[in-house]
Amino acid sequence: MLDDKLKELEEASLTAIAKAVSTSDLYQVKVEYWGKQGKVSLLMREMGKMPKEERPEFGKKVNQLKTKLESAYTEKESSLKAEELSAKLEKERIDMSLPGPWEARGAKHPLSQVTEEIVDIFTRLGFSTRSGPLIEKDYYNFEALNIPKDHPARDMQDTFYIDQEHVLRTQTSPIQIHSLEQEDLPLRVLGPGAVFRVDADVTHAPMFHQMEGMFVDEKVSLAELKGVLSYFNKEFFGSEVKTRFRPSFFPFTEPSAEVDCSCPECGGSGCRLCSFSGWIEVAGCGLVHPNVFLQAGIDANQWQGYAFGMGIERLAMVKYGINDIRLFVENDERFLEQFS
Amino acid sequence: MKVSFNWLNEYIDLSDYRGKIHSLASILTNAGLEVEEIEDQALLYDSIVVGSILEKKQHPDADRLTVCQVSVGEGVVQQIVCGAKNHKENDKVVVALPGSSLPNGLNIQNTTLRGVESSGMLCSEKELGLSEESSGIMILNEDAKVGEAFSSYQNLQDVFFELKVTPNRADCLSHVGLARELASLLGREMNLPKVNSGMWQAKLDASLEVENLDLCPRYACRTIHNVKVAPSPAWLKQRLEALGLNSINNVVDITNFVMLEYGQPLHAFDLAFLEQNKVRVATAKAGETFTSLDATEYKLDGSELMIYDGKKPVALAGVVGGLNSGVREETTDLFIECAYFVPQTVRKTARKFGIETDAAYRFSRGVDPANIQTVLDRTCALIAEYAHGEVSGDFVDIYPNPIQTANIPVKLDFVEQKLGYSIAADSWEKTLEALNCHWRKDGEQYIVKAPLYRHDISIKEDLVEEYARVRGYDDVPEHMPNARGAPKQQSDIFERARKVREHLSHDGLMEAMNYAFSSSTFERTFLGNKDALVAAGLEFSAEPVKIQNPLSEEYDIMRTSLVPGLYKNLLHNYRRGQSHGQIFEIGFCFQKQQNDYEQRQRLALISWGEKQNLWQSDKAPNVLKLKNKVERLLYYLGLRGFAWDTSKPAPDFLHSGQFAYLKLGEDYLGYIGSLHPRWSDKDKIRSSVALAEFSLDSFSRHKKTLDKVQPLNPFPAVERDLVFIVDQLLAAGDLQNYILDHFSKVKKIEVFDLYQGDNLEKGKKSLGFRMKIEDHTKTLSEKELTSLQEEIITGVQEKFGATLR
Repeated sequence: MLDDKLKELEEASLTAIAKAVSTSDLYQVKVEYWGKQGKVSLLMREMGKMPKEERPEFGKKVNQLKTKLESAYTEKESSLKAEELSAKLEKERIDMSLPGPWEARGAKHPLSQVTEEIVDIFTRLGFSTRSGPLIEKDYYNFEALNIPKDHPARDMQDTFYIDQEHVLRTQTSPIQIHSLEQEDLPLRVLGPGAVFRVDADVTHAPMFHQMEGMFVDEKVSLAELKGVLSYFNKEFFGSEVKTRFRPSFFPFTEPSAEVDCSCPECGGSGCRLCSFSGWIEVAGCGLVHPNVFLQAGIDANQWQGYAFGMGIERLAMVKYGINDIRLFVENDERFLEQFS
Repeated sequence: MKVSFNWLNEYIDLSDYRGKIHSLASILTNAGLEVEEIEDQALLYDSIVVGSILEKKQHPDADRLTVCQVSVGEGVVQQIVCGAKNHKENDKVVVALPGSSLPNGLNIQNTTLRGVESSGMLCSEKELGLSEESSGIMILNEDAKVGEAFSSYQNLQDVFFELKVTPNRADCLSHVGLARELASLLGREMNLPKVNSGMWQAKLDASLEVENLDLCPRYACRTIHNVKVAPSPAWLKQRLEALGLNSINNVVDITNFVMLEYGQPLHAFDLAFLEQNKVRVATAKAGETFTSLDATEYKLDGSELMIYDGKKPVALAGVVGGLNSGVREETTDLFIECAYFVPQTVRKTARKFGIETDAAYRFSRGVDPANIQTVLDRTCALIAEYAHGEVSGDFVDIYPNPIQTANIPVKLDFVEQKLGYSIAADSWEKTLEALNCHWRKDGEQYIVKAPLYRHDISIKEDLVEEYARVRGYDDVPEHMPNARGAPKQQSDIFERARKVREHLSHDGLMEAMNYAFSSSTFERTFLGNKDALVAAGLEFSAEPVKIQNPLSEEYDIMRTSLVPGLYKNLLHNYRRGQSHGQIFEIGFCFQKQQNDYEQRQRLALISWGEKQNLWQSDKAPNVLKLKNKVERLLYYLGLRGFAWDTSKPAPDFLHSGQFAYLKLGEDYLGYIGSLHPRWSDKDKIRSSVALAEFSLDSFSRHKKTLDKVQPLNPFPAVERDLVFIVDQLLAAGDLQNYILDHFSKVKKIEVFDLYQGDNLEKGKKSLGFRMKIEDHTKTLSEKELTSLQEEIITGVQEKFGATLR
């Protein structure tokens, strides 16, 4: 009798396990059949009605059934858990094409980026940055740089005047003089900053930026200046570019040179960027004129130096293919955000 | 300066460069005479030929047009529709063939005009770039050869260089000078014009006196009689016009020709107008007036060097001639001046009066004092030849103190050291000779003397450059320097700007850069009264720094604040559809201080509009969002312990209820606020605008490194919330500070709720605070917490009249 019941329970409970659709369902099956008050446990209690000798045999069967159910349960449970987990993952799917919460993208101004890049290159050679007044004494902007009053070199730069003695500096070169007057030698300084000339069109702005550099030691040569600027060109434009010096004239250097870099766009074969010349003008430079040392109270027989000046707008225009200098001061976000 | 290849070729044989103009150009460029442009006439007139009109018929469909059959050589006949009226059959004309392009840029193609095919164009002088105006097409001489290139017919086979001559190379401002430079560079001989002055017989009919030999070290003259002033011969006209000078008459043109030839400006006076036939060189009398050739009157201050006749001023020396004594059609007798004026005096006078002449340009750069007689004689010879004059056999040449160039001592090893490569003595000496320098050896030393026309060579460094230049800068090797001494400190101005820029650009702001000059009108209107800005810790002088010669009204002062510029940037972007944005600028502002000027580095920020957000609706006011950015920056820069002060008046352009001054200790460092609605209304900005400006100099003054690290509290912290109902006008910050200052166990406090609405009594608001409470000696018991909380409530009630909600 009890054996039959046991058989029935076995079938019923296994079917119920198989039919369970969730872990909670499955747990209910456990409670119903082999929980403390479950049907199998209740049947166990009826064992008392059995003849004594049959009891061990029956008890064994019941335990076997319990073990069987446990293992069926575990198996079912893990498969249900797996299903439930995958259902949960499916439910938690996120459209990864959606944006995160919006954060503005910032950008450094391209002229700042180029300035910082140049500073970093020369800092590696031991140069340090310096700053100077934008409203400069005529003396520092011209006379100390070997450009006396009524010298034709003054025509090279159309000057904004503030009063008899002050101008808006037309070049960053006065920064050299301040360093020569104030600092100990040897000296390696860089002077980035704004300069002003009475001029305004597509390629000329009344205010633009230059980077001045000066290296002073007991003996320096044009060859070292060329080495330094060639290193700069390679770092800034790419290791394949070549450097060319052309004779030029600056009142505060002798000898003087214009520095060209082989066109980074076409490699020197000629293109629009380099006006089909194969070369890009990047800087003016030269060995410090003895009169400049003299004016600054430095013994030109003991000390020598070289200096260079480059146009930051020009370098940025070449590097980024910008053809209108006015874009730099319009501050249009559509322009600026391209540099973020 | 524009230079003619054909003309150069007369003084130095360059015929081998005719086919390779570009290599000649690069020789000049590499010698420091940069060729900026090359204009090849043969290319300019490519496919433009001489043609002959075989037949001319009326256009069937247009009254004003004719249809011509034009022979263009080798049996080819083109049908060309023409709109001119001055041509007839058998005329020789200029034909631009299809595929050619005219000097004015017009491209000629096969086309159909009112149904008639036309292959080419008959050209006018204007279209060929030969004259400013022309009526009808150009009709050539009958003997013109059909099919000949027009450039060859018209003798337009020259090449022109536009040269950038640096101020030190006055000697290259002429064809002879440039030929001489090429002779040095190429090692060639020169061939200069020869003058036989020995045959001149006429009497010198003038006297000369030079009072200011310091300003006019040399002055020479001849007189020429019975000249016939007339238009110049064609070759002379063409040569001057090709180089950009207008032809005036044979005499004036010859002086100009010689100026372009030798670089020496000359002046021809009409002798009849020189009173007492006398010329006197002297400085002006103060208060005197002088009227120039172009009838402009100048008032003289006494510093100008003048040319006088027996009574009156007749020229501003070296700058411009007088209206009273110039050569005119009726002139028969000339006084020819050839002089060396000191460059500075010419430059000063020309600049003072704003006169730009070719003469002043050359004199102020320095002409060759050694060449005066040669040039005078050359000019007289040409006038005798082309204006039939009789030149005086005598001349005057006042030159009592001949100008000398310096003896420059230099050692070859100095040149080698400066250039960084070794030099053979032979190469050095040959280079000096090529430059026409005299040299001798004195032991190890060379004593070098440059020719007078190279007055720019005066010290040994000049010789270093000359050697490298003539040999070619390509010979200079590239060496890396050995830097001695430790690198020095970086400029704080640069470094702090870089740090601020780095942080703000990472924090979502874009960097702007504006001109350092600004409009006085706009600044005044926008900034209003500056008292509040001064109270906020920014420096201003009573008056802004004015520019004497501004580009325009828009840029007439040096800016005193960065904010007006950023506001303009906002308008620029807003009007181009940027509904939101945040930008900053780091830059100098300027002020006047007695006789000097100061610049102060500032930082300004502006933000406007709101970005629609998918995930959360961002209700924070713009000004508080900007305040957040500023605070993050302050922490990044190590500036702690700052406070926002609202007790002072607002600047005029800010919303009087939405602004604060930034305060650190007792110092004010700047301000933040919302734009006054007056401005957003005026400029139709339909979203809120926040702006701020700070002094970076003050930031640096307060820079602090981190204090010693605080030990961590081993006892747990507890959070407690308190909600108070307070007066509408009470600043949450004041309440927070009160709690922090009076209850040391409260380590942090922040506002987590703000409510102002109908459920509250009028004039009240509800503020919820979340406090972090801890004790360094023990874990706080519930009882201790409750009693602390009660003390806080009582304190706040007493201090602020608040009630617990």
